[in-house]
Parts: sequence; C-alpha cells; structure tokens
Amino acid sequence: MRTVTRLYLSNDTSARAAGAGVLADAWSEHPEVQLIRISSRGAFYLEPMVERDSPAGRVAWFNVTAQDLPLILSGTDGTPVRSIPFLAQQTRVTFANFGETEPLALDEYQARGGLSGLETALRIGPDAIIEELQVSQLRGRGGAAFPVWNKWKVAQQARADQKYVVANADEGDAGTYCDRMILEGDPFRLLEGMLICARAIGAGRGYVYCRQEYPGAAKTLRAAIQKADEAELLELDGEPFPIEVVEGAGSYVCGEETALLESLEGKRGVVRARPPYPAQSGLYGSPTIVSNVLTFATIPNILSRGGAWHAALGTERSRGTMALQLGGRVKHPGLVEVPFGLSLHQILEQFGGGMAPGSRFKAVQVGGPLGSLFPASQMDIPVCYDVFAKAGAVLGHGGIVVYDHETDMVDLARHFMAFTADESCGKCTPCRIGSVRGREILERIQAGSGTIEDLALLHDLGDTMKVASLCALGGRAPYPVLTAIEHFPAEFRAKLRT
Amino acid sequence: MREQVKSVLARVRSKPPNILKALLALQERLGHVPTEAVSEIASALGVTTAQVAGVLSYYPDVRLTAPGRHLIRVCMGESCYANGCGRLLRELQDRLRVDVGETAAGGKFTLDTMSCAGNCAVSPTVMIDRDLYGRLLPSQLDTLLERYK
Repeated sequence: MRTVTRLYLSNDTSARAAGAGVLADAWSEHPEVQLIRISSRGAFYLEPMVERDSPAGRVAWFNVTAQDLPLILSGTDGTPVRSIPFLAQQTRVTFANFGETEPLALDEYQARGGLSGLETALRIGPDAIIEELQVSQLRGRGGAAFPVWNKWKVAQQARADQKYVVANADEGDAGTYCDRMILEGDPFRLLEGMLICARAIGAGRGYVYCRQEYPGAAKTLRAAIQKADEAELLELDGEPFPIEVVEGAGSYVCGEETALLESLEGKRGVVRARPPYPAQSGLYGSPTIVSNVLTFATIPNILSRGGAWHAALGTERSRGTMALQLGGRVKHPGLVEVPFGLSLHQILEQFGGGMAPGSRFKAVQVGGPLGSLFPASQMDIPVCYDVFAKAGAVLGHGGIVVYDHETDMVDLARHFMAFTADESCGKCTPCRIGSVRGREILERIQAGSGTIEDLALLHDLGDTMKVASLCALGGRAPYPVLTAIEHFPAEFRAKLRT
Repeated sequence: MREQVKSVLARVRSKPPNILKALLALQERLGHVPTEAVSEIASALGVTTAQVAGVLSYYPDVRLTAPGRHLIRVCMGESCYANGCGRLLRELQDRLRVDVGETAAGGKFTLDTMSCAGNCAVSPTVMIDRDLYGRLLPSQLDTLLERYK
C-alpha cells in the first residue's frame, strides 16, 4: 500500500502570489500527497512554505518549488516551525491560529478556544461585557485608537429601534495587510467579535464593508458566514443577527468611518461632519459601531481570558498586542504580533532581519500613506500610541514600510501628495484644493523649477490642511511630506532653481 | 442591453434604494455601466439622475467604458513603491503601448493602477483580473502576459 503524506500549504492571497498556487496545481494529482490548505503564518519571506507533521510538531520547508517534493516527502532538511526566530519571538494572541488551521473549519476554530469569548459574553450580558473591555483598555486598531468600551457604551445607551455593527474591512492603508489575513485566514474570529459587540449594544444587523481589491477575502468571509449560519451562531436572544458582506469600489477615503457609512448606504463615499458620531447616529441614522477588522478580532480573547489579561500586555497607555506589518526593503517582510513598546529598531532588526540584500537603510514610514517618516537617528522610538502621538506621528493600522538608499525623497513626497489628491472625497476645501496645490508644488520642485519659497509654501499649506481638514485624510496628508523635507532637506534643496 | 439593465435592476431593488449596489451589479453583468442607462437606473431606484451620476463618477472601480478582456492593475502602494513598481508600470506601458487607464490595441489588456493590493510582504505586485502576482521583476512580465489569451 502506498503511504499518503499530509502536507500543509497556505491558501493566503500573498502566499499564492508568492507561488503557493503553482505548487498546489503541480501537486494536486499526486497520489502520495494530501494537501491541506491552511492560513499563512505571516512569515511571507519564507512563502511558499510547506509543512508536515512530526512527533515534535510541524516541520517546514521554505521558498518551495514543485521540484522540492521528493525532499519533503523523504523528510530531509526540514526546519521545526517552533525554531523559526521570526515566529518564536512573537506573542501570537490574535494570530495564534495562523498557519495551524483551515480557515473555514469551524470545529478547528472551536477546538482551539474559538467561541468561548462569545459564550462568556452571552452569559455575563451587556454591562459586564463593556466593563471587561474597559478593564482591558483596548483601543481601536484601525488608526484612531479610541477606547473601544467608550464607543460601545454610547451605542448601548442610545435608544433606537435598530442598531448596527459594521466591520471596516476597507484596509486601504498601503503597507497593511493584517485585516486581509484575518478575513482569509481566521474569519470566525471576526464574526465572533461582531457578535459580542452586537450582544453588548443590542444590535440587530451586521455588515462587513470589504474593499473590492480583496476578492479572496470577501469570498472566504461569505463562506464563513454561511457556515456560522448553518451552525446557528448568527442569532442573539433568539433573534437572528444576519451579517452581510458588502464590497466597496476602490475609494480609499471609504475606510474613514463616516464615508464608509455613506458608501454602505450606496451613496458617494463622502465624509460626514462629526458629531454626531456613528455610535450615536450612524448607518441610516441609527446607532452604529464601526470598528476595524483587527479590533473585532482582538475582542474574543479579551472576553475569554478577561480584561485584566489584556491590560497586562503592552505599555501604560497602549495595552495588548499590535499586529505590525513589515514591508518595503526589509529582509523579512511579514506579520509581527508583539506587545506594544518595542522600539522601531528592535522590530526591524529582530524581526525584519535588517535590510534586503543590496539595500542600505534610508527611512521608515509607519502608519500607511499618511504616516510620518523616521530617519535612522529616530529608530529608538517605542511603538505605542502615546509616544507616537507626542512625536506628531501615528501608528495607524500598523504598517511599517522601509525605504532604501535608492529612494528619491522628492519623488516620494510627490507620490504621497498625488495619492491624497486622487483620493480626496472633495467635501472640505483644505483637502480637496490643498492636496492638488501640494502635488503641483512638488511636481515643480521635482522638475527643477521650484524655489525656496515653494518649500515655505508647502509648510504653510501643510499647517492649514492639518488643522482645517474634516477627516484624517487631509489632516494627516502633510505629515509624510513635511517629515521627508525635515529629515532629507538637502535632497529638496538640491532640486531648487537657483 | 436594455433588457439586461432591466433584469439586473429588478434584482437589486431595496428599501431604501442602494445606488452603488445597483451600479456594481450592472457592471458585473455588462463589464461596465453605460452612461445611457443613468436615467433608467434613476427611475428604477426612485432617485434622481444627479444622484446616480454622482455615485457613478465617484468610485474609481465603477467603469463607464468596457475594459479589455483582461484588466492589469499595477499596485502603487508604498511597499511596492519601495520595491520598484514605477519600473514595472513603465515597462508595461512600453510593452502594451498604452497609458494608465487605456486599453491596448486588439482589446486584450487594459492597464490601470491601484493604491494597495494588501500584498505588501511579497511586493511589487501586479493584479490581473482577480489574480495577484508578487515579487515581480520586469524580466518576468513577458511570460506572465503570455498566460492570458
């Protein structure tokens, strides 16, 4: 009789983009292989990564090609997964299942502690849920970092016939991908977080607003919703709690919570003036909790392990773990879940493995396309909300992009402003006009016809956009540009007309 | 085409009406949203033509003209920027002899950009239809394009 070996291969979009799909096709008919498609561990620099069971846990092969199959089947040259430093040094809590389970296997999710947070929530009731979140000191992970319990309390106390729970899966910040990983890799965790929220505030309907750029995520999530429905999980107090996936249409600003709600209503994704906040008056004017996917996915563990457990991780004002996403010219791009408080330097060296071959460090950008740039001299800054805020920077959604010596800072600054000009919703003047003027000035400098006054003008323009814009798009857009000028002034001056 | 528009609109009727959903459903069926259909959409949903036109012009991924058989999107996100997406885009423009937003002669490919594909850890990224390709080098583009008929 022929022996069949069970091999694990990620079905994550980035793993497939790195070649996992090609492997699956090549091995699909192979009689000796039973291929299990799991989520990705997030060590993307090793993908496609193939694993098999051993008495001492999983053993892995890295950057596998189809020709490596005999080697894997004979069991030679594999590396024990638990000895991979990139993974072993992390504190995997929200991402504990990644690389272990099949995303749509509800029984596996449950066997690894899934749904126990929801069970607790159903038992203790709304007030106690919110209290637990208050103890946990969880702050929203989408960018605004608002205390989650506070928002829930407002929605809970609002009187209304209908309330909504909306998961923001419009992960538009370039350099971020942890929400995509959750949607594709551990979708029941998101649903569980949404159900806990619905229970706390008394909501009757849920939506996941998923960006159009994530077709794989939307598909997996829809399948997960169907499975949850079949398992009769989508009900609260005997009433159905339907969750619907709605896809966006390519607008970055729809990741802003009020623009998202407008888009969910089928309108132009234009920002609403706040207050009222969505927790008071959100979707169709009803109290609505809008939170990012990672925030919802963090909540089940808080309910099952207790708020105090969560509060014991991290720093004074940034509790818990953060999913950092490394990209750009770093040697080991991938997902890093660690407690808040490590320095940028530690993260890039210990996890990022330093620079990609042939690259020398120039700057790192934290927090997406609206995040500030940090030069080599500022790498000691600890990654947490308060210190970043003091430095005028943001953690945003945890994206960390490393630029190397080949990066032209003037062109990069132009790239940032052009992005805002493209994506501005147009409602407020500072953002709509300011971003276009900013782009024009930077194009002028790039073309060699800018003057020293243009740099002063950029500062003035930036100050206006920071204070007068309606939302974070216009309000944050000047930061990457102005930090580029601040840290690399010579590059800008060298291009000015004399 | 009118019949197709009608049948799609009948399917997405809701209360309150959802214009974006209707437009995306039409695009799913027709490959784009024809501007001639605006008044029909408006009357079917019970909204004004200005509201429909407003939503139609707002979203980058709602297309007014039919794209080529395959839609190539080069990711311009920061991680892709750091990893040379600009060169990939220029190579594609040269190979296909089109600018961003245009369809190549023969109607096979439409070239576009996107602001982030969420594929940052294996960048630079090109998305063709619904498939992503990562760690792409300009030298790999020919083989990649040949896969598409």
